Amino acid sequence: MSRNFNKLLNYSLQKISLIPIMLWIISSLVFILLRVAPGDPVDAILGSGADEVSREFLRNKLGLNEPLINQYFIYIKNILHLDFGQSLSTQEPVLNIILKSLPASLELGFFSILSAILIGFPLGLISLRKRGKKTDYIARILGIATYAIPPFWGAMLAQLLFSVFFNISPIGGRFPIFQEQPQITGFLVLDSILSNNIIAFKDSLYHLALPSITLGLLLSGIFSRSLRVNLEKTLKSDYVNAAICRGISRKRIFLNHALPNALLPIVTISGLTMASLAGGALLFEVTFSWPGIALRLHEAISQRDYTLVQGIVIFTSMLIVSLNLFVDILIAYLDPRIEY
Amino acid sequence: MKKKVLLSIFIILISFLQNSCGSKRISKKIIVASSGKIESLDPARANTLKAIQLISSLGDTLYELDSNGELTPQLASGMPIISKDRLQITINLRKNVFFHDGTSFNSNAIKFTFNRFKRIGTMNYILGNKIKSIETPSEYSVIINLNKPSSSLNGLLTSVNLTPISPSFYKEYSDKFLNEKFVGTGKYVLTSFSNEVQSIDPNLNYWGEKPLNNGINFVGYSNSSSLFGALKSKQIDVLLSNSIDDSQRKSLNNLSRNKQFKEGNSPFTELSFISLKTSSYPLSNLNLRMALAKSINRKLISDKVSYGLRKPSRSIIPPILKKDNKEVWPKYDYLEARRLLQKENYCNGNILRIPLTYRSNVPADKLIALTWQEEIKNSLKDCIDVVLNGVESTTVYKNLSLGIYTAVILDWTGAYSDPEAYLTPLLSCNEIVDGICKQGESVYSGSFWGSDKVKSLFLESEKISGIKRLEKLVEIEKIAANSIPYIPIWISSQKAWSQSKISKPIFNGAGIISLSDLKLIYE
Repeated sequence: MSRNFNKLLNYSLQKISLIPIMLWIISSLVFILLRVAPGDPVDAILGSGADEVSREFLRNKLGLNEPLINQYFIYIKNILHLDFGQSLSTQEPVLNIILKSLPASLELGFFSILSAILIGFPLGLISLRKRGKKTDYIARILGIATYAIPPFWGAMLAQLLFSVFFNISPIGGRFPIFQEQPQITGFLVLDSILSNNIIAFKDSLYHLALPSITLGLLLSGIFSRSLRVNLEKTLKSDYVNAAICRGISRKRIFLNHALPNALLPIVTISGLTMASLAGGALLFEVTFSWPGIALRLHEAISQRDYTLVQGIVIFTSMLIVSLNLFVDILIAYLDPRIEY
Repeated sequence: MKKKVLLSIFIILISFLQNSCGSKRISKKIIVASSGKIESLDPARANTLKAIQLISSLGDTLYELDSNGELTPQLASGMPIISKDRLQITINLRKNVFFHDGTSFNSNAIKFTFNRFKRIGTMNYILGNKIKSIETPSEYSVIINLNKPSSSLNGLLTSVNLTPISPSFYKEYSDKFLNEKFVGTGKYVLTSFSNEVQSIDPNLNYWGEKPLNNGINFVGYSNSSSLFGALKSKQIDVLLSNSIDDSQRKSLNNLSRNKQFKEGNSPFTELSFISLKTSSYPLSNLNLRMALAKSINRKLISDKVSYGLRKPSRSIIPPILKKDNKEVWPKYDYLEARRLLQKENYCNGNILRIPLTYRSNVPADKLIALTWQEEIKNSLKDCIDVVLNGVESTTVYKNLSLGIYTAVILDWTGAYSDPEAYLTPLLSCNEIVDGICKQGESVYSGSFWGSDKVKSLFLESEKISGIKRLEKLVEIEKIAANSIPYIPIWISSQKAWSQSKISKPIFNGAGIISLSDLKLIYE
């Protein structure tokens, strides 16, 4: 046990040691790409009407006249101190902006994954149970279709149908305009529970429902397809046949042996999906005016707000890398076939 | 039978959800939506339409332009008094006016606001080097000392960026921005602020007429479709946006004609034009520029691109500022264009190739470019070849003064309500060599056009006022129209739509909606 634990610890440390290198590469790439990209934050802030004197003044004020190499070293040094600087357009600390927007994205991501699992798993199971029948084909087509639909189109369709045509869902935002939202952690569903505010709880779920169910539906295809394929493969494996021969009940074989093994690849998929959603579902947030980190990134890019773009990309990279690491270690722990 | 039951259940479920989902709207405040978010409520920083709109409800300027374009005193008690040498402007202030923090409005507040804007204002370039100092001879009187005579200062005094703020409240923010609060003298007080939603209530101690509503909730949506959908599904009361798609604008215009919504229009203030680089061949040739100007069918462009909702324009000064509708640029006449091109040895196997740059992130620009290209293919195919080139807008702005673009589609809205705010940024030049501007505003607008006559007319216009000054400015426009450094295409207005239960949105002369006039109509 302790030898296994030591091995797992070594494996985890190896993985962790790669993180700083990955983050350095990512942050350097972001720095270079932003400077290579056309456009200038000064032009984005002042528009086309400002004279050259005003432009130069602002460029100096923002530190954009410093040599690029100096800008790079200052940038790396600040990142090492977890100082992402100030937004060029608002002068607000980037970390504050990130921490204000991140809960919205994480909340949407969490409920979307939950919806995806709640939709995808039953579909996958029904599909397998009714293998080769009409229901199986419908479930499989549905799975592939939801996976293939472009998210922005799905989001716009859902918005048009449920917000405009049926008028049963808000068109956008996280909370009713005319009510004060609870502010404890930034996660509105959690905050309304913590503040024992039933109306706020209902309102935050009401606003969360359409974007999260729509995103969940679009993600459900990959879950239903993976579950079906992995379960089918597992149920045909030798150890399941051996268990059947030994007279173990099918329910017990399914729940205790087949399902846990079939779920292993799905843990990886869930981890990767959650990691990508932590950075925000860009087009979803834009369509539903969801004030998350992706919407903030979208605005920062259009404003050429270098420091904010850098900050958001590095912060979300850290999140994604950490979540991937966690999934890697979890899989290594759960799956005895993995050598480390 | 089974299908009918399922359908009935679905309809009942939808009806149930429509009535039960979410909390009922309890607020009697009017919900006004527009695109984007408000980053800052600091008048020294505000440069988006939405922020300017909100600040104009929370604060008053010294003067305002009414819907006829006339200067009317707000916090000033009368019209500005200009000294004989035109280097001093005296403004008497209204008494018994209080800021939202309870402190009294006086000449110190004006001095503090102007100096702060000069120091930290993002758009402080609109003041240029005009103001030398500000004196406060008495509590309710200010004297603005100018470096040189400036007749455009009247227009500047209407700028929302110069909205007086409370010196005591902004004491610690005299050299930095205060983004999330605003303390002015306006009809409304700010009750809550986030980037996405802002709420304002009527100011009970307001010195003038009180608002006709119980307050306003401002909300920002991130895209045009959401705004359109929110108005149609009655989730918002008023939609205020100039960035809404033209097809949706047309649809809302039709619905307004059918009395489903009420549509309000501001005066025409946003000019779209093509800037021509006059400093090098081929467009250094006046006949070629004239031919291009005559090849543009503005009505066709307006009909195809904006469904006729934007006004074709042959002038670079908005009609409200010119006090007339005279248009001085050449009319569409492709036969005359052909004649001019033939005169310059084009058309007979020799095609004039014009690279036309448009801002790729502005959908209307691309459609303007495509429509003009098609029109030329129809009527002047053997003479002109327009080659399109899409470039992101910030890159276009950065490269304009480098002389990279032969012809480029741009737009312009004056920073203040004065013809000069349209003429100076396009036509003024500090250093002219052989008709080419080496240094000045026309370099930054990409035309590089310079005229000594225009330069002297600008100087003369600074020394006079009223109708004589306007005549000088119109003369400048006429000279430009004969030299074609730019080709105006259309001029557009701000629009707002309200639900039928809300009164029609009304704009002032500067394109700002009067929120205090919005009211619920009970039938």
